[in-house]
Amino acid sequence: MHAVTLDAPRSVDTATPSFAAVAEELLDDVYGYLLYLTKNWALAEDLTSETFETAFRKWRRFDPRRGTPRAWLLAIARTTALDWFRADARRRRREERAEAAESPRDSDGGFGEGLSLALEESLRALTAGEREVVALRVVLDLDGEETARLLGITPTAVSTRLSRALAKLEERMRDHDVVA
Amino acid sequence: MTSSPDLIHELRASRPAAPTALRARIREISARETAPAPWARFRFPVRRAALIAVPAAAALAFASAGVLGLARSDGPTEAFRDEQALVDKATAEAAPSTGYGAAAQGSAIGPTTGRAQRVSATLTVEVPNSDAVSRAAQDALDLTRSLGGHVVSASVATGDEGSATLTVRVPVAKVQEAIVRLSALGRIVSQQVTIDDLQESLDALERRAASVRNQIARIAARLESESLDAETRAVLENRLKTLRTELRELRRGISATNAEARMSTIQLTVVTPGAFGAVAPPARLDRTIDEALNVLVWEAVIALALLIVVAPFALVALAAWLGRRLYRRREEERLLAT
Repeated sequence: MHAVTLDAPRSVDTATPSFAAVAEELLDDVYGYLLYLTKNWALAEDLTSETFETAFRKWRRFDPRRGTPRAWLLAIARTTALDWFRADARRRRREERAEAAESPRDSDGGFGEGLSLALEESLRALTAGEREVVALRVVLDLDGEETARLLGITPTAVSTRLSRALAKLEERMRDHDVVA
Repeated sequence: MTSSPDLIHELRASRPAAPTALRARIREISARETAPAPWARFRFPVRRAALIAVPAAAALAFASAGVLGLARSDGPTEAFRDEQALVDKATAEAAPSTGYGAAAQGSAIGPTTGRAQRVSATLTVEVPNSDAVSRAAQDALDLTRSLGGHVVSASVATGDEGSATLTVRVPVAKVQEAIVRLSALGRIVSQQVTIDDLQESLDALERRAASVRNQIARIAARLESESLDAETRAVLENRLKTLRTELRELRRGISATNAEARMSTIQLTVVTPGAFGAVAPPARLDRTIDEALNVLVWEAVIALALLIVVAPFALVALAAWLGRRLYRRREEERLLAT
């Protein structure tokens, strides 16, 4: 297992800001999360737009006492992405029956400016679930409890999944160093 | 070699930033923001409502039970009404009148005039309290004496449940009046009058006495007129002596039977409510509590019936919800495993 030291969680502001301010502040987080989840920048952009459309419609129902705007937006983003994955899986099954399977999820694209090629490739080798926990816990710096609530699993499961993902990343990176 | 802290540092340093075009698109969405309706932020607080609704429902149930109990406590309780009805029915069978102080007019069975009869009566009357027991006992004694009778025995007990037991004898000619007036001392709980006919046995005694007298007369005449040998004379004299003894016994029997037929025996018992199975009407508070408990029991029965009807549907709905949730969780895991 890997010792993972992460920053303390951000403080929770219970005042309700405007949607525009929230969208401006959290756009990068939502986009980053969806990019890690889909590993496709074009798809991530589409899903981000869809997420904010949905969030805009539901904004009146957002209750700051029940969670942060970031957790709320990420939950909508996750649902949007999973819906897309389901639709994509159905489409692929239909195309497999027609022997013409092709997935836009295989499209190329980077995870972020400044990432080494080795890390890019290592991230691609992870499953969507592993990339998701890396995005939430490492990149977006959500705490274990918040991540667990978002993913619908226990904090222990989050920790285990993150350790496994980082171990796989390290292993991939090590292999890449050896090859290089 | 790359370690986890390095990885984390690199991942955070290379945090993805939304492209400019996407940011512009999101700003367009945000610009459509409109002023929320006053009720838009209102959300029905389900948990808070449940926290209030459950105690409120319980309070309503208790309050309605209390109000109904209070309203229905004006009359006797259902259990008391049933119990009282049984007592009243038994009393009605014993006597037609059941009120305090009401006389059992015409209810007493009287002896047949001209025949020797043994009349005995057993009466139980209920008076309101222990003081009334003493008064009723004294009245009974006075009544007995005024009718020319006498007291055989008397026992009076006072206290929370006072009672009195009196055995009196009154002339048969006055027995009906005695029963009626003794019954008027309180509310009749029970009444029993027994008449045994003594005329036949009295007639038999008198016939036997007449026969004995004839035999005595014949033997006496024979002893005086005939010349008898000593042995025969001795037998007849012995027989005469026996008959005279029997005649005396017969006269005593006739006299006792006549005396029995002249006086009747009345056993009077005076009781207070609560004694002798008499049912005391419960206090208003007790009746209120009884009625309130009845209402609560009915409310509980209705709630239980509703629960029994609703529970299967709720269980099916819960199972369906859990099943769907499990299915979606597995599906998500499958989708995210690629």
